Amino acid sequence: MKTILVVDDEFGIADTLSSILEDEGYRVITAINGEQGLARMAEVTPDLVIVDYMMPIKNGSEMLREMRKIPALSAIPVVMMSAVSEAVVKKECEFTAFLRKPFNLDAVLGVIVRLIGGPSSAPSA
Amino acid sequence: MTDAANEMEPLERVPSGIPGLDAILFGGFLKSGVYIIQGTPGSGKTILGNQICFNHVSGGGRALYVTLLAESHARMMLNLQPMRFFSLAPIPGSLYYVSAFQLLEEQGLSGLLDVVRREVRSHKATVLVLDGLVAAEEVARSPREFKKFIHELQVLASVVNCTMFLLTNGSNNAHPEHTMVDGLLELTDRTLALRSVRELHVRKLRGSACLRGAHTFRITEDGIELHPRIEALLANPSTQDECEPKRTTTGSTRLDEMFCGGLPCGTTTMLMGPSGTGKTTLGLHFLAASTRKEPGLLFGFYETPDRLLVNAQSLGLDLTERVRQGDVEMLWQPGTDDLLDALGGRLLDAVRRRGVKRLFVDGLRGFQMATIYPERLIHFFTALANELRVLGVTTLYTAETSQILGTDVHAPLLGISSIVENLVVLRFVELRTQIYRLLSIMKARYTDYDSSIREFHISRNGIDLADSFESAEALLMGVARPEDLAIFPPRKGTPHSRSDRRK
Repeated sequence: MKTILVVDDEFGIADTLSSILEDEGYRVITAINGEQGLARMAEVTPDLVIVDYMMPIKNGSEMLREMRKIPALSAIPVVMMSAVSEAVVKKECEFTAFLRKPFNLDAVLGVIVRLIGGPSSAPSA
Repeated sequence: MTDAANEMEPLERVPSGIPGLDAILFGGFLKSGVYIIQGTPGSGKTILGNQICFNHVSGGGRALYVTLLAESHARMMLNLQPMRFFSLAPIPGSLYYVSAFQLLEEQGLSGLLDVVRREVRSHKATVLVLDGLVAAEEVARSPREFKKFIHELQVLASVVNCTMFLLTNGSNNAHPEHTMVDGLLELTDRTLALRSVRELHVRKLRGSACLRGAHTFRITEDGIELHPRIEALLANPSTQDECEPKRTTTGSTRLDEMFCGGLPCGTTTMLMGPSGTGKTTLGLHFLAASTRKEPGLLFGFYETPDRLLVNAQSLGLDLTERVRQGDVEMLWQPGTDDLLDALGGRLLDAVRRRGVKRLFVDGLRGFQMATIYPERLIHFFTALANELRVLGVTTLYTAETSQILGTDVHAPLLGISSIVENLVVLRFVELRTQIYRLLSIMKARYTDYDSSIREFHISRNGIDLADSFESAEALLMGVARPEDLAIFPPRKGTPHSRSDRRK
């Protein structure tokens, strides 16, 4: 079963995305900021990371930069989410895909399937 | 230590960027203060918080917006998008949005304080908005713990030079945190009869004077549009009364003669009378005398500027040219749901912008309809008259009286005649199936005046005022025969015309 890490400080977004993706058959772990996200990844290596850009303590781009320094995490695809435009966020970091908030379910699932396939496409590491 | 070294630095201001609010706060909030903005859901707190942030960053500051239990940031931005102050440009560079609710849930008030401290410092924020303070209060194990949290925020604000705004639902009932903070602003949204009115009250403000009481505001495409109560804003006129002994023409030579040389400059004159007597016509005469040195302004509620210009043309008054030259501006207030202080503010802005010296307000009823609290009107007009006087503006108001025919004259607003310096009454008189118009000066401060009643009529040459009282006297005594009215003979073809009598 594929594992997705969802990192978002906003109450409800991480929980809601988690519930929806679990309904789709994915395993989901969540975190509320970049620091927590890295701590979660030290316990479980996800197949995909969906992360919010603007967060307290460690934001999305800071978390992504640290991921790239860790060999076990450097190749994991990262979907960046934000209410601001992709062009603005791209100035700060390189990500695999972008979701503009507020997003709808089709957009989220479309990106996930494109990057890692369905929930049972291949076993997680 | 010298006296200078002993003195404390004066507190700097952080303007909100909202003109009416900064006027109420005498320049803005005090830097590094902690302020609560409270109000029921929908009262405008989030818009106010965001507007302060956007104005702050557009002035070079940096802001942090922290939400607790509130709408998602994306939703908030979508809702703010129609507002002119909103722009994505400063986000996230100088305006950063984070949510701290999860942290609050997991780590309590200490976790919240920790993240606020870290984020304010990392983003070098000089303004912080914490939206949803009630969520923090609910997590506090006691009122004391919550007060301690507020105190720690105040210490942080002072140390890192960050002005903080805590948004919360709430009523005016005393809350423990109210005693801690540097200021408390309350937003209300009430329905009175059929009208809804939004008001802002400054309930507390340490270290600064402010305009107390309720101030109305609207939420528009410009965000919060606040209109300080005119009588509070102008409790003292903005400048010295120069008191120049000059005269201003009314636009009618004979009326000027009745005032022994025209209206004293800076005075307010009320033209009172029933509908159709010629009040607006007299006002148009007054405006038509505007020049580059004495710019004029029409502030009207009834007829559109285009209609008035056509009307003026039909009276032989070339107002169109005056408007084209920029000597006259016409501001029409068509709204039937306007705010009294918005009207006052708009009028004064227009007066100041062009250095207006001749103001014609058509009519008083427009202001009466805009007020939620009728008992304010006398104070409002007093403040307005005082300010217009010191600005050297000679003002004409029209005021409609209810009685169309007859000798009784009732003031449209109790007490108004004591505010205006000059009072001119226009009325209809009926005699032998004809209606005639009469004018009299009932009162004139600072000048002698001719107290006689004069007949006048309105024609293609405008207002023509009799040069003596005789025709009016005859009309009022009921003894005038139409052919006796040498100045204003009856129209040909009427039963009493001379030509008919000769037949």
